[in-house]
Amino acid sequence: MTTAERNTGDSKSGSPAAMLDHTVRLLTASDGLRTFLLACAAIGLALAVTGLLILVAGKNPIAAYWALIKGVTGTTGRFAFALNKSTPYILAGVGVALCFRAKVINIGAEGQIAVGAIAATWIALNMLALPPVLQVTLALAAGATGGAAWSALAAIIRLKRGVHEVLCTLLLNFVGVLLVSEALHGRMGEAGAGFPQSPLLERSAWLPNLLPDTDLHIGIVFAILAVIGGYILLWRTTFGFRLRVMGASPKAANYAGIAAPRCMLGVMTLAGALAGFAGSIEVLGVHYRLIEGFSAGFGFNAVAVALIASINPIAVFPAGLFFGFLEAGALAMQREVGVPSSLVFVIQGLTMVFVLCAIGIGARAQRV
Amino acid sequence: MDSSCLIEITAATVRIGTPLLFAALGGLISERAGTFAVGIEGMMLAGAFGGAIAVLTTGSPSLGILIAAASGALVGAIVAIATARFRADQMVTGLAVNILALGLTSFLLRGLFGGRAPVIRLPTLGAWPIPYLSDIPVVGTILFRQPALVYIALLLTAAMTVFLAKMRTGLMLRAVGDGPEAAFAVGTDPVMVRIAAIVVGGALAGLGGAVLSLQEVGTFTDGMTNGRGFIALAAIIVGRWTPFGALFGCLLFGAVAALELRAYGWGLPVSSYVIQMLPYIVALALLAGIGRSARMPAAIGAAFTRH
Repeated sequence: MTTAERNTGDSKSGSPAAMLDHTVRLLTASDGLRTFLLACAAIGLALAVTGLLILVAGKNPIAAYWALIKGVTGTTGRFAFALNKSTPYILAGVGVALCFRAKVINIGAEGQIAVGAIAATWIALNMLALPPVLQVTLALAAGATGGAAWSALAAIIRLKRGVHEVLCTLLLNFVGVLLVSEALHGRMGEAGAGFPQSPLLERSAWLPNLLPDTDLHIGIVFAILAVIGGYILLWRTTFGFRLRVMGASPKAANYAGIAAPRCMLGVMTLAGALAGFAGSIEVLGVHYRLIEGFSAGFGFNAVAVALIASINPIAVFPAGLFFGFLEAGALAMQREVGVPSSLVFVIQGLTMVFVLCAIGIGARAQRV
Repeated sequence: MDSSCLIEITAATVRIGTPLLFAALGGLISERAGTFAVGIEGMMLAGAFGGAIAVLTTGSPSLGILIAAASGALVGAIVAIATARFRADQMVTGLAVNILALGLTSFLLRGLFGGRAPVIRLPTLGAWPIPYLSDIPVVGTILFRQPALVYIALLLTAAMTVFLAKMRTGLMLRAVGDGPEAAFAVGTDPVMVRIAAIVVGGALAGLGGAVLSLQEVGTFTDGMTNGRGFIALAAIIVGRWTPFGALFGCLLFGAVAALELRAYGWGLPVSSYVIQMLPYIVALALLAGIGRSARMPAAIGAAFTRH
C-alpha cells in the first residue's frame, strides 16, 4: 500500500490525497443531463432576450426565427450548406473543448485555422503531380500540421516565458490572420483578381462530395469522427484522465505526478491540429481556394461551441450544429424579414454569458 | 528623417496611444481588483458606438462622451455581474461580451435606423491648444496641441496613481485584488468592490472607444476597435499593473502604430501586412521578455466565495 492510498483511506479533508480522491469521484459522477438542461436553458434565454431586441427594431421575432429555421431546413441544398457551415466549428470546437477541460484557455483557433489553411492551399497548388487522393490527404495533413505548429508556438511561449495562454493565442490570432493576407498579396495570390484570393484549386484537390446536387462535402464525416475521437480520448485514455484531473484540481494533478506542462503542450498541439484541419477543409471543400477573411469569427465560434459543451466532447456536435445552423439561417432571416444577420453574434454572446453563469452557479453548488 | 518628421511621429504616438490608455486604465482598475479585463475590447466598441450614435442624434460632443462612458459601463456591468456575482470564468466571459458587443453594435446600427446602416460623418473633436504651453517648441507641439480627451487621459493616469497608492478606497480595491479573504475579514465586500471596479473600468474603456469614433475618425464602423482592447491588455502587463507603466506601454504601442503609418512612405522592402503584424509581435515579444517576473494581482482570476 503506497502512502497515497493510505492517505485516501482515512480521507482527512484538505490533504492532497483526499483532494485527489474527491476530484476523481467528481469526475466520474454523471452530470450529462444537468449540463444538457443548463445549455438548453441558456440558449432559450438568449433567444428570448434577442427576441426582445428584434421587437425593438420593429420586426416580428416569431417571423424572424421562423425565417431562420426555414433558411436551414427549407431545402436539401440549404441543409447541406448549414452542415458545411457547422463543420469547422465542430472540428475546432473539439480541440478547444479538450483544452478547456484541462483549464487551458486556448482561444487561438482563429489563427490556427488561418495558418492551417495557408499550408493546405500551398500543398494543393503545388503538388499537382500526385494522384488526387494523395493530394487531398497531403493537403489536409499539411493543414493540421500548420495549425498544430501555430498552437504549439503559443504553448511554448506560455510554458517557457509564463505569458498567459489567453494572450499568446490571442496575439498570434492577429498575426495568423494577417499571414493569410500576406500570402494572398504575395506569391499565393491570383494575379489580376480584384479580390485577395488564391487561384482556383484543380478539381483533383477538392474534397469529395457527399450528396449529389448539393455542396455537402465529406468534412462533416471528419467532424463526427473528431467528436467520437475526442470523447474516447477524454474518457478512455490516460492522457484524457490527466487532462480531467488538471482541469479539476491542478494541485491534485501535481500530487498525482502529472506533468502539467507536457499535457498542456499536448492538448494545445492537438487542438491546433484540429483547427488547422478545419481550415484546410474550408479551403478544399467550400471555397476551393484561399480567400482573405474566409475564417473571420471561426475561432470565437469554436470557443463558444466548446464552452457550451464544456462537460462533454459529444456535446460539441449539437453545439456546433446550433452555431452553424444559426449562421446559415441568419442570412435567410436578413433576406426575408430584414433583420440584420449580425444578430447571430448577439445570440452567441448572450448564450455564452448565460452558460458561463450557469456553470459558475453549478460550481458553487458543488462546493457546498 | 528630419526633426519635424520626428515631432510629427511623436505627436501621432500620443494621439494613437490615447484610446489605448483609456482602455488600459479601465482594464487596470478591474485587474487590480482581481478581475481579468479581457472584455475591454467589447467595452471600447460599445463606447465608440454609443458616442457616435449620441453625437449623430443630438449633435452634442459632450453628451456623446458621456453616453460613450455609459455604454462601456453597461458592458462592464454584464461582465461584473457574471463574474463577481455568478462566478463565471473571467477570461471566457470577457470573450463572450466582446462578441456580444460586436453583434449588438452592428445590429443596433442597422436596427435603430430601419434596417440599413446610416452614413455617419461627424466632425472630429478638434485640438485644444493650451495657451502659452502650446507655444513651447517641440514639447508644445507634441503634448499641448492635442484634443481635450488626450489631456483627460493623461490627468487620469496621475489621478489613478494617487487613488491606488494613497487613498483608502484605492487600498481597499488593491486588497480585494490581492487577498479578498483578508479584505472581507476587515469588513469590505469583495463582490461589490469588484463589480464597482469593473463598471468604472468599463466606463473608462468606453471613453477610449469615444476617442476612436469621435476624435480619430468621426464615424462608427462594425468592429472598429479591431483588437485595440487586447493591445491595451498587453500594455497593462508591460506596465506591470501601474498607471504610469500602462501609459508607457500604450505610448510604446502607439509609437509602433505611428511608425507603421509612416512606413508606407519609406518604401520598405516588406509588405504592409508584415508591418501591420508589428504591434502584436512587439506585444508578444515584450510579454515574453517580461515573463514570470510580472507581478500580477495575487487573487486575479479567482472568484471570491464567502466561507
